[in-house]
Amino acid sequence: MLIKTTHSRFILGRRTMLRGMIGGASVALALPVLEAMLDEHGQAYAGGSALGRRMITWFWGNGVALNDPNNGSSGLRWTPPDQGPGYTLTPQLQSLENVRDQVSVLSGFRVGAASPGRRGHHDGCVMFAGHPFIELPPNGANYASKFGGPTIDQVAAAAVGSQTFLPSVQLAVSKRIIGSEGPTLQFLSHEGPDQPLSQIFDPREAWNRLFGSFTVPDDPTKPHRIASLDAVEEDVLRLKMRVGAADRIRLDAHLASVEQIRTQIDAVAPLCEIPPMVDQNNDDLEGQEQLEAVNRAMSDLLVMAFTCDVTRIASVQFTGSVGYTVFNTVGATSGHHDLTHDGGMNDMVDNATVFTIAQLAYLLEALKATPDGAGTLLDNTVLLASSDASSGLTHSTDDMPILVCGGGGGTLTHPGIHYRSPSNENTSDILLAILESVVPEATEVGSGNGYSNTPLAALLA
Amino acid sequence: MQHAWTTIVLGGVLLPVGCYAGLEGRANDEAAEQGSDGTEGGESGEGGEEGGVDADYDPAPVRLRLLLARQYTQSIRDLLGDDSAAVVTPPSDVAINGFDAVGASQLSLTDAKVDAFESSGRAAAAVADPTKLAVHHTCTPTGADDEACLREFVTNFGRLAFRRTLIAAEIDNYTAIGLDAATDLEDFGLGMRTVVAGMLQSPNFLYQVEVGEPGAIEGHRRLTGVEMATRLSFFLRDSTPDAALLDLADAGALDDAEGVREAAWLLVDSPDARIALADFTGELMRVRELATVPKSTTTFPTFNPALAQAMSGETRALVSHLAFDSDGDFREIFDAPYTFVDAQLAAHYALPNPDQYGATFTQVELPADQERAGIFGHAGLMSVLAHVSSTSPTYRGKFIRTQVLCEDIPAPPVGADTTLPPAEEHATMRERLEAHVADPSCAGCHKLMDPLGLGLENYDAIGTFRLLENGTTIDASADVDGVPFAGARELGAIIKDDPRAAACLVRNIFRHATGHIELPSEMVEIDGLVATFADGDFRMRAFLVELVASPAFRVVGEPE
Repeated sequence: MLIKTTHSRFILGRRTMLRGMIGGASVALALPVLEAMLDEHGQAYAGGSALGRRMITWFWGNGVALNDPNNGSSGLRWTPPDQGPGYTLTPQLQSLENVRDQVSVLSGFRVGAASPGRRGHHDGCVMFAGHPFIELPPNGANYASKFGGPTIDQVAAAAVGSQTFLPSVQLAVSKRIIGSEGPTLQFLSHEGPDQPLSQIFDPREAWNRLFGSFTVPDDPTKPHRIASLDAVEEDVLRLKMRVGAADRIRLDAHLASVEQIRTQIDAVAPLCEIPPMVDQNNDDLEGQEQLEAVNRAMSDLLVMAFTCDVTRIASVQFTGSVGYTVFNTVGATSGHHDLTHDGGMNDMVDNATVFTIAQLAYLLEALKATPDGAGTLLDNTVLLASSDASSGLTHSTDDMPILVCGGGGGTLTHPGIHYRSPSNENTSDILLAILESVVPEATEVGSGNGYSNTPLAALLA
Repeated sequence: MQHAWTTIVLGGVLLPVGCYAGLEGRANDEAAEQGSDGTEGGESGEGGEEGGVDADYDPAPVRLRLLLARQYTQSIRDLLGDDSAAVVTPPSDVAINGFDAVGASQLSLTDAKVDAFESSGRAAAAVADPTKLAVHHTCTPTGADDEACLREFVTNFGRLAFRRTLIAAEIDNYTAIGLDAATDLEDFGLGMRTVVAGMLQSPNFLYQVEVGEPGAIEGHRRLTGVEMATRLSFFLRDSTPDAALLDLADAGALDDAEGVREAAWLLVDSPDARIALADFTGELMRVRELATVPKSTTTFPTFNPALAQAMSGETRALVSHLAFDSDGDFREIFDAPYTFVDAQLAAHYALPNPDQYGATFTQVELPADQERAGIFGHAGLMSVLAHVSSTSPTYRGKFIRTQVLCEDIPAPPVGADTTLPPAEEHATMRERLEAHVADPSCAGCHKLMDPLGLGLENYDAIGTFRLLENGTTIDASADVDGVPFAGARELGAIIKDDPRAAACLVRNIFRHATGHIELPSEMVEIDGLVATFADGDFRMRAFLVELVASPAFRVVGEPE
């Protein structure tokens, strides 16, 4: 028998309830947070531990059409004309209407880690880490670069990821990604320079990773899988003694991942009803991507993963850096990157931005519609949405289009504001502010010109 | 011809200042050098223990190299059978500097990748062909708990999976986990499958491990016999060495250049070698991207996944033909006046009676009026090097500069106005680009790239031959560093005879073979290989054999 909570679209099984009461707070994987389990204010578990806070980084490529296509000096298509709470929604931000109170628009920021500017798009991507990228000299081959340090989602995952089944998950929507210039452009999440994290494009694969790989406790193969991992770990350690220092670091990463897989095999399945397998794929239909359908499926899965506390950290690469997504539903017939370099196509770039933010709005509204503790998932999430340039046309990393969404578990200013930096502040100040909502003890992010130990005060509650 | 080229290449050094300043310089110096001394006979590949290694040769530090996805899957096929290969889902390769093998040598594994190897290893083991397992033990198991018999299996299968003889501790460990499973699950076969699943997750299977032994020169390490067997097999046929090759290695047969040559000839004659070279061509010449390249369905209603696959098949067929069937001058990839078509591609090329060709690729002479010849006339390459609904002379030119001639193109200056003027103001792509390149900050580099691509403007964004663009006659006249041409046939002829192209091909194959971008200190051996390629009349199979027998392949640097 299934019961449906009155205000949740998430279905909890009866067995779930029973196990939750028996298992209490000691289980490896937390329950979807029910009001009965919270303190009287709904702000923390009855036992006193804090509610899990979530972080999402959300990326689209090639910047936005900053200006009104009909008035090059207006600057009003993206950036609100007024500051503070209750700011005016510009045409590109209009779809955020229902969540505006939980969206802060940050303008006038520069990507500190991009200074001095070295390479268009690569410079913008590093905003998500605050570390300057590492150039891999082409010497007559393709130009390539990799990240100089972990992206902010992975800094958070390193701190809190062990509390959930998966430390983090990487999702993507558009498949039109550039793979020829190295990990910086290709991936949104990086654990470090040599660990870009592959994104999942197919919602069915995302379901499988989030919900489809739990081991049943009495699975007879389980001890033998663990024993295999023991043998593998011994092999890794033995191999470490035969290789150089650079490879030893790689083998340490290998070892850490083997440990993580062991934890996952050992983990108790989440105490919530596993959502049914999705049937949405990410194949082209008649040569066109299914952007909206895939975005909906991925967003729904992410909301369910957060509800089940399968993970608390996620990244969503909606479109890629230098990506060539064709926004056919708004009339585009060429790839997005090309559009942004076509002087006659600014209107279409504008359409693409409007469409993109509407897809983000779907996720934000889904988070807002889902109860979590005394509030909603959006209250307990911080989502950073931005791009790899302010405008694809110029590759500029000044005046980046940045949205910080969600309540961050009460750490972020509410209602949302438009804050325009008076001094071209470093985007890493934003990273540190949002990191602190998930990792309160964090004191710094980034390195080199991207370093910050000054969280953006305007963003904090 | 050599002298003529020296002049032209030196002429190419007279770059616009803005772009020249951004170049690293070395690439140009090298190109000039190769133009003048590229005909010197190679002395590599002969002589003593290290095959006459040059004292100036300083090889790059050796790194662990993760098996490429295709190498992983094909190894599973060879070890366990087709059913197993069909169920594995290894993580996708991540290219660095355009090469999967370079990414495989630099990047570390991640949770999701180790997870994929764990589930793939179990899935492969579960459906492994029983006869493929049975060959690894002569004993008949007396029961699920027959430890001695399982130990025999571990020892023999392990040698194939790890591509070397196992040490005692490894045999003990895997026998123990297999025996536990066999006893617990009451099935000797499940014990073997547990061993297999474990070994397929071991770093000894997942990485090419190349530690080597001290070489004749300080800082050099010579690959051991089984390490050579592994490197040879993965490079030449993208799969794990078989027992016979490991036996040869253990008998010392791969310890000198002659022995390596002998073994290599057997490998390049295997059917897998064709697939391996075609797959690498797909990577280098980017036609594998046809599987995902989007085209505007309104502009190009005939473009669909099946046609895209046929385009890829054409390029693969030409490479296979040149390397393995005609055994001719491999540089014909640039100017072959013939190609390989199936019915779909024949229709795409407007050949008469396309339906006569059916589903298999047939060699045909190309009609001269489309000026097609070689890969620059292949619809696949022209499609990949284009936008969704229009051509890109810049992409095409950049590809020729970097992938074909191994020259660096600097990034657009930061803050450059990268806007192309509106299409409605200019009928042809040439006019739009010329207006764009009027900006002096862009002109320097665009002049390196655009002219090469402008000469291919008669092939649209899906490689269809056309004479008009928006009703205006296309002017496809262009030049390569001052040598005039129009169309793929003339461009191919120029590139084929350009010594930079053969030298670049050698460098690209070396990068793939060794998993790194060559260092300046390695150029002495690579230059020798370039000469070897020329001395062998540019025949690919013989060149691959000489490459693997050379110190460039057999000697590595001390690890960092």
